[in-house]
Amino acid sequence: MTDSGSEDLSNEPPIIFYKHRPEWDDVTPVPQDDGPNPIVAIAYSELFQDVHDYFRAVLKSGEKSERALQLTDDALDLNPANYTVWQYRREILKHLEKDLQEELTYVRGVIERNAKNYQVWHHRRVIVEWLQDPSHELELTEAILSRDDKNYHAWEHRQWVIRTFKLYDNELEYVDRLLTEDIRNNSAWNQRYFVLNNTSNFPADIIDREILYTIAKIKKVTNNESAWNYLRGVLERSDYGICENSVVKQFCEDLYASGNRSPYLLGFMVEMCEEQIEKGAGDSFYNLEQAVRLCDSLAKEYDTVRKEYWNYIARCLTNKRNSHCNNGSSKALIEEMNSAASDGTIVTSVDE
Amino acid sequence: MSNGDDPNTTLLKKRHVRYLMHYLTILPAQLSSHDPTRLTIAFFTINGMDILDSLVSLENKKKKEMVEWVYRLQVLPDDGESKGQWKHCGFQGSSTLIFPENEPRCSKQYACSHIAMTYTGLAILLMLGDDLSRVHRAAVIEGVRALQQEDGSFCSTLSGSENDMRFVYCAACICYILNDWSGMDIEKTVQFIKNSISYDCGIGQGPENESHGGSTFCAVAALSLMGCLESALTEKQLKGLRRWAIARQIDGFQGRPDKQVDTCYSFWVGATLKLLGVYHFVDYESNRNYILSTQDAISGGFSKWWDTRADPLHTCLGLGGLSLMSEKDLLAIHPALNITMRAYKHLEDIQQHWECK
Repeated sequence: MTDSGSEDLSNEPPIIFYKHRPEWDDVTPVPQDDGPNPIVAIAYSELFQDVHDYFRAVLKSGEKSERALQLTDDALDLNPANYTVWQYRREILKHLEKDLQEELTYVRGVIERNAKNYQVWHHRRVIVEWLQDPSHELELTEAILSRDDKNYHAWEHRQWVIRTFKLYDNELEYVDRLLTEDIRNNSAWNQRYFVLNNTSNFPADIIDREILYTIAKIKKVTNNESAWNYLRGVLERSDYGICENSVVKQFCEDLYASGNRSPYLLGFMVEMCEEQIEKGAGDSFYNLEQAVRLCDSLAKEYDTVRKEYWNYIARCLTNKRNSHCNNGSSKALIEEMNSAASDGTIVTSVDE
Repeated sequence: MSNGDDPNTTLLKKRHVRYLMHYLTILPAQLSSHDPTRLTIAFFTINGMDILDSLVSLENKKKKEMVEWVYRLQVLPDDGESKGQWKHCGFQGSSTLIFPENEPRCSKQYACSHIAMTYTGLAILLMLGDDLSRVHRAAVIEGVRALQQEDGSFCSTLSGSENDMRFVYCAACICYILNDWSGMDIEKTVQFIKNSISYDCGIGQGPENESHGGSTFCAVAALSLMGCLESALTEKQLKGLRRWAIARQIDGFQGRPDKQVDTCYSFWVGATLKLLGVYHFVDYESNRNYILSTQDAISGGFSKWWDTRADPLHTCLGLGGLSLMSEKDLLAIHPALNITMRAYKHLEDIQQHWECK
């Protein structure tokens, strides 16, 4: 929940209430009717009330004019989350055939002040669609991301514009720059996958390249969930799963042998063991005994907050032979949870 | 707070009740941005009170007034309108666009429902013990159906809105509560959810978006309400989801890898794990310690971080997060609908009554 309102416009001239403006004399303000016994009533400022009383009046009369447009400016300044005001503003823009490039400039200002507001970004998208002009969007989202490199709205908007207008060309370079600045930026890793997913079908050479890229990043910071997740995601696009790639296998073995005990490395190795067990393949390194040993050390030493999880994974692997965890495992899980949890009542809701 | 209660280890129940009671009455001007969506604030406030088992302390008269206020926000069909014209029906989030009784109403084009308000409005009515008899169920369902997009996702309102997983969740809650799934094309909805599963096995707000604790909850809860969580996803997908969700625990929970822990994810991710049947993976002690570290020991309420101000959303979800761990003195919560099991049982009674009819 964010505080709203740029009511404190310290450097701006004092606001004249709409009810005191002669040019609005012809309009009768419409007060809000909150009923006899409102709850969660907002202690609106006098300015907020004034502007919204006139907005209601305009909405009622359907007036689409320059002054009505100005009124939406003021209403959005007080509350950029009011989607109806944005909608009405769009209708005025259309009606008056306003210069939409100017609107892009205006909404950019609003975005810069309210970068985590859904309605503002939606408005931006509609205007870009109307104009069919994506030329400012990469720069805008880059500016917003330079202040908060995980801003979800900015990434959604960027993906939309790239997908819609096929602007993939320089995106990997941008992603690479962000990952150089912050190797743990999961939004940037996601964007990398997004680009490759849309520009290639992950052929073998791309997979090999991405594996080397990711391994190099992991070597820098091994305790980085995002990079390990990306590695798994890329490997799963190959025909061979996660345990058949000799480069990755060797990398993990070497890292482990060097004494590294990142929980992500150990967890990844558990998955590699699991895949070998499922395939029924014998491997001198990635096998059941290794997996159980790794789960045990994760539970006891390297990832203790998830000890129940790792103990569970170890049990599953051990029980693999009697297919306890292969199929119908969800039922088995619920049974297990019912017996493990002190009170198993709520679990029934998943059966509905 | 009785003397000697340590806020680091004790849930300060009475303070939270008082905090929420205050918000139920009045919100400061700084929260004016929530003006069009006041119903959600009411939802977090009343739900929080319900989890604290304190709604009983409200007078019946007060409850009735609250119910009336919610019903005033229902957008009903106009006289003589046929079913095809009910697209705007449901609930508005506040009286911002409600005009005085004697004035002609604002154009339907603007005074239309918002799907999150319809969900939270119905949920509040359930919490307050209303029997939903004044809900125009068929019209509400038409209103939901009108918001589904070609890709299976939902917009929030006809009056200009983005479409994403949040509104898929709201649509599923509404259809579930009203026991009428004609409000959506289930197959399309499921497809949208599956398309939004990321390479890291979490779920984003839409296809190819980054996995997020909030959208993952919305997706998993929606599938659960549709009754197809187990059948729609493959065993591999479920396994990956469990891994992704449990990986979000640091002490409390984060919403994405390498993001700061935030009280609300103890509910969003916690409820996801509950729905996936693996809540016992959670380290209760560190989760509880984190949530309690964000309670305001003086004014009551919870915030996302220990050094930020409390708000109703984090208060409700902090309490919900504790309730998932069966915290003493808190009512159990329905992990998919995010209402107490008490309110849920009331819903079951209502639905049974509908069926008898």
